[in-house]
Amino acid sequence: MKHLLPLLTLTFTLASATAALAGVADNAVRQKINGLDVVSIKTGVKDVVTIRGTLAAGDSRSPDSNVALADLAAGLLDKGTTTRDKFAIAKVLGDAGATINFGTNASALNINAKCLRADLPMVLGLIAEQLRTPAFSPEEFAKLKKQVAGLMKRSLEDTDFRANTSYVRAVYPLGHPNRDASPEEYLAAVDKATLDEVKAFHKEFYGPAAMKLVIVGDVDSAAVSAELGKVFAGWTGGSAQARPARAGHVDAAREQDVFMADKTNVTLLWGQATQLRYGEPDALALRLGTAALGSGFTGRLMANVRDKEGLTYGIGSFISNDTFVDGDWRISANFAPDLLSKGIASTKRQLTEWHDKGITAHELESNKGKFVGSFKLGLSTTGGMAGQILNTLNRDLPLSFIDEFGGKINALTLEQVNGSIKKHLNPEAMIMIKAGTIPGAVTK
Amino acid sequence: MLKRSLAITALLVSALALRAAAVAVEGFTLIKSLGGIDEYRLDANGLSVLLLSDRTAPVATFMVTYRVGSRNEVTGTTGATHLLEHLMFKGSPNFNRAKGNSIDQFLESVGAQYNATTYLDRTNYYAQVGSEHLEGYMAIESDRLRNLWLHEDDRRPEMTVVRNEFEIGENDPTQALDKEIFAAAFQAHPYHHSTIGWRSDIEKVSIEKLREFYDTFYWPDNATATIIGDFDPAAALALVKKYYGAYPKAPKPIPQVYTEEPEQTGPRRVMVQRAGELGTVGVSWKSPAGSHPDYPALQVLGMIMGSGKTSRFYRALTDKNLTTSVSSEPGFFHDPSLFQVYANLAPNATHEAVEKIILDEVTKVKTDGVTDAEVATALGKIRASTAYGRDGSFAIASGINEDIATGDWTLFITLDVALAKVTATDVKRVANLYLDHNKSTTGWFVPIVAPAAPAAAK
Repeated sequence: MKHLLPLLTLTFTLASATAALAGVADNAVRQKINGLDVVSIKTGVKDVVTIRGTLAAGDSRSPDSNVALADLAAGLLDKGTTTRDKFAIAKVLGDAGATINFGTNASALNINAKCLRADLPMVLGLIAEQLRTPAFSPEEFAKLKKQVAGLMKRSLEDTDFRANTSYVRAVYPLGHPNRDASPEEYLAAVDKATLDEVKAFHKEFYGPAAMKLVIVGDVDSAAVSAELGKVFAGWTGGSAQARPARAGHVDAAREQDVFMADKTNVTLLWGQATQLRYGEPDALALRLGTAALGSGFTGRLMANVRDKEGLTYGIGSFISNDTFVDGDWRISANFAPDLLSKGIASTKRQLTEWHDKGITAHELESNKGKFVGSFKLGLSTTGGMAGQILNTLNRDLPLSFIDEFGGKINALTLEQVNGSIKKHLNPEAMIMIKAGTIPGAVTK
Repeated sequence: MLKRSLAITALLVSALALRAAAVAVEGFTLIKSLGGIDEYRLDANGLSVLLLSDRTAPVATFMVTYRVGSRNEVTGTTGATHLLEHLMFKGSPNFNRAKGNSIDQFLESVGAQYNATTYLDRTNYYAQVGSEHLEGYMAIESDRLRNLWLHEDDRRPEMTVVRNEFEIGENDPTQALDKEIFAAAFQAHPYHHSTIGWRSDIEKVSIEKLREFYDTFYWPDNATATIIGDFDPAAALALVKKYYGAYPKAPKPIPQVYTEEPEQTGPRRVMVQRAGELGTVGVSWKSPAGSHPDYPALQVLGMIMGSGKTSRFYRALTDKNLTTSVSSEPGFFHDPSLFQVYANLAPNATHEAVEKIILDEVTKVKTDGVTDAEVATALGKIRASTAYGRDGSFAIASGINEDIATGDWTLFITLDVALAKVTATDVKRVANLYLDHNKSTTGWFVPIVAPAAPAAAK
């Protein structure tokens, strides 16, 4: 078949032999190729290439009539195309030691691939083939439904999974992308899903419209452009990311127990919606303040609840789910059932003091160093850099944000950080989820 | 405490051949150079040092591997290596939280990625830092080699921290099953117990015992310092000498584990029953040490049986909706361990049926062997994994760490060379030699339907 000439819109044209850790924007080549937003960057690594991408076909795009369609569509991508079956795909990837994985989160279909330099054209071609022309085999669809149902049932054994599902269902309102379906609803949807529904979902949401692809490592950007121009030529459609109404705050504290028998550890999640996306004013300030409470071993939670009182192996606070839409703030902790009440009381003391009094000047400076240093380290592998670039694109931020990150962090003031904590969080109206063998909840 | 992933730890010899040449620094003896990695010995005390300079990013990883793990423990002290690893973060007279210069305070203030891990054969402490912070980290890391505080006031709260780590592991039925399989498979050798240890030992081991452990194993001649990334080799060795040179060798010989597992003469079975959703079948056979010449062929066998959609177990089990996943690999350890297959059952699949298919597939390999194409696919994956395993200084240091634990860091290079030579004939031979029913231990996790949840949302 004769290929169409690629339509290239060059946004950034400077490519260098090696991307220094500073100057990502200058070294990256960002192009619009057949509608795809593509960033490639050469680093010092030899032979290795990491590919990461997203497409606006995440779980939240599943219709109310069937919440599993996005997952099922993604699951069929590696089960064969119109020109080769799943074993042929696995063989060509296996022989090259390459991997291509598709999966969904709330907002996106995620593409993760890794290969050697010589195999990059093959891998890019296969990604395009799998996205564009899945086989939609009835036999594979029947198998897939059983597989995903099995994986969901296995997840039900996991206290972390059960706590998280309950948490996002409590924090986010109906219709918000970050709200999960209940496991029961999901399993029922898998059971009743039809192949025609999955095909229709694929037709509506798969396309270049909001697709982003980042290619990092031992790459030649010109060759990448030519290959993508070829393999995605003529592809149309897709959908822009949804930008729904923000999650509201609850008006009073709520608690929910998820009882699971025979568990020696209880997972605790405690928090609320932030109503903030990553790139918005206050978001970085709130992140830094949150780190002072619960990041690493020097954060207040680990230093006190774990190190001083010995109540938990792991506890932390963080902001999540805010790349595509407004996210949530949470404390995550593990407690033995007989230390649960003590653990919660200790955690509450730290949360209250932090919220009431804010962080100190010393904590501000220490966490500035932590943020800037860890950000730099994160760019030292192809996976880390690809992930950071992709997140930047999905946050609707310019690539220059990566290079300016240190400056933005260092410019934060104590007033901004403590003001953001007060403004966006209210410990008196947070949601607490406990999952596990919770004392007092066991039927004798 | 994860097992080594297949082949992520080796480097391509050719890819590293162009790295910096070894340097001569007074006080060090160059032991050997291989694949771009230079091994030195600090003459003053026998500390081993491995260097690989790669200045493509301003980042370096410093990792110290102590040749002590849970295999060095006995009844009453199981889990002590790991508990001591936790206490290594409690400070010393020179570096501590009150002074504001503890290892956590320093490393977190510079955004380091750091931690420590304990496993069967080794304990490692590491940080990946901006290269300008390498000396700062080395100063603190070297200090805790001999100057650690070991206070009962620290042990008490840390014991419950570690106990909660144990409890988190026990939450996962498959982890509980793995402990049971190892405990049944090894009766004499200390691989019998898991690295986290038995709960009662975690709770009751005394600070005196932990001090004894520290004073027995934490010496420079029982350690290897590995530095990967952005540094000048001569300058790095000078720092090692500055911070480690003052320590003496161990005053007594480091005790060696001499217990060997008696030959197993019949199949063994275990069962874990507790609340859960779906079952698991684990079948394990005795397999040789990671440094054994048969290990590469067993690694290839493991990939052919259990890696990806082309694997035999995927086709026989997962593709038939009998399992949600199957894994298959030999343990990569200092002493003989287990070649393990784990099959996570799909809904409605029975343990009996899945176990039978696993054994049938093993019989087919033993009888008919594997194809050249299957070997080629496995080697393709291994070649690529080798390259992926040098994507960043931490990945390289982590790979070397497991080879040190196995007893020979040069496996980081030589294992790939050996893997490339594996043939279908080799794979069939090791399948017949090691996958012996009389040397197997089979375990089932059988879920019990959980009682109805009595507590609704408040």
